[in-house]
Amino acid sequence: MNYTKQIQDIAAKLFAEGKIDVFVGYRLNGFDDNHVPVLITDPQDVSKLVFTDKSVFNLVNYLKTDHTRRKRVGLVVKGCDSRSLNLMLTENQVKRENLYVVGICCEGVVDDAGQKMQNCAECVVPDAVVSDELLGTPSGQKPYTVNVDIAALAAKPLTERTAYFEEVFENCIRCNACRHSCPLCYCAKCCIDQETATLYNGANTTSAAFHALMTWSLHLAGRCVDCRNCEKACPSHLPLHLLHKQNESVIYENFQEHLAGVIPEDRGAFYKYSLKDPDDFIM
Amino acid sequence: METEVKDQLVSIEKPELVAPPNWEPVIMGILCNWCSYAGSDLTGTSRIQYPPNIRIIRVPCSSRVDPWFLIKSLQTTADGVLVSGCHPGDCHYISGNYFARRRFLVTKKLLNFVGFHENRIQFSWVSAAEGPKFAKVVNKVTEDIKKLGPLHLYKKENFDKK
Repeated sequence: MNYTKQIQDIAAKLFAEGKIDVFVGYRLNGFDDNHVPVLITDPQDVSKLVFTDKSVFNLVNYLKTDHTRRKRVGLVVKGCDSRSLNLMLTENQVKRENLYVVGICCEGVVDDAGQKMQNCAECVVPDAVVSDELLGTPSGQKPYTVNVDIAALAAKPLTERTAYFEEVFENCIRCNACRHSCPLCYCAKCCIDQETATLYNGANTTSAAFHALMTWSLHLAGRCVDCRNCEKACPSHLPLHLLHKQNESVIYENFQEHLAGVIPEDRGAFYKYSLKDPDDFIM
Repeated sequence: METEVKDQLVSIEKPELVAPPNWEPVIMGILCNWCSYAGSDLTGTSRIQYPPNIRIIRVPCSSRVDPWFLIKSLQTTADGVLVSGCHPGDCHYISGNYFARRRFLVTKKLLNFVGFHENRIQFSWVSAAEGPKFAKVVNKVTEDIKKLGPLHLYKKENFDKK
């Protein structure tokens, strides 16, 4: 998977036609062959752009910043990124007419060790669902599988799960990088921060981390697209996908919903209901 | 499961921690204004006894209950939470409890996944005419949580002392 040449050509063409003010893509980080996001405003810098299977980050996150707000933006999206873009469009955070979207038919990206990432191995929608221009050959939707980590943990007894997650929450340093790296966490004022104003909950304790991460994951339930930007950004390497995938699997199995962001104008599982929803857990 | 006779009550999530003598659970009851709160009122005016462990909070509708409320309750004082609303189809706001029902299931499963016993988070539908049912529900929830022992997970005050 190498679309470097095509993306450079597209960006140069868009700048020449005056269609965009800024192009969001990837460049080499300057130390090794890993990629970092780059915002290009000068047409001469177009040659910096690259795209290979090392382009792991979700660029939709950069539509939240002042560099791209109220500007015409060119953007590269993979399958999962395009789903989050779909949700951003549905929730009126960005305007479609201001965007030029280069969709990729993704074959999976790799982590630092060169292994295919877990979410790519389990990917259901590898092709971009929103695009003005599609690169690669579409391979269609794949069947949904429950995350292997979720299945392994759910089979364990309660006390083991308790101990496991206590360690997870204990290692959180409350830097909020997960929140900043998430394209769907765009609230100007977060409800978790209002808690931190009370002196105590701002403290870096296991209790505060539990409160923050659980609230965060439940506010993203039915919207998370499993791009794993949060996990890539986490300095403590917490398995944040566990919380999101758990919610996703419950929603997928119980409500017969399709995955978040696949269908345009669909706001996610919590914005609708069915009379046939499971009721057996309620007295 | 086999019933094991224990001398001391232990926390089910952390079996090494023993409950203090005469321990009583604190249960957060979040009730919808139109059905369950009126139902609990009827229980009282009908002179039906129910355990005093429940602390009731009134909300406009069960869909007002953000999952955050449950997390916050479990993190501060509560050993368990009971959320109660109108029966499906009876919602004062027409469809509020249908939306709430989806959220409740996901919240319950997630809290269970990270290590809370599933009986710590309970839900019920109680209408304004079901005074006896409300007493029965509170009895059952209190009994369930008494069996589980005190909740020691992620409590604020445990970290306050350090």
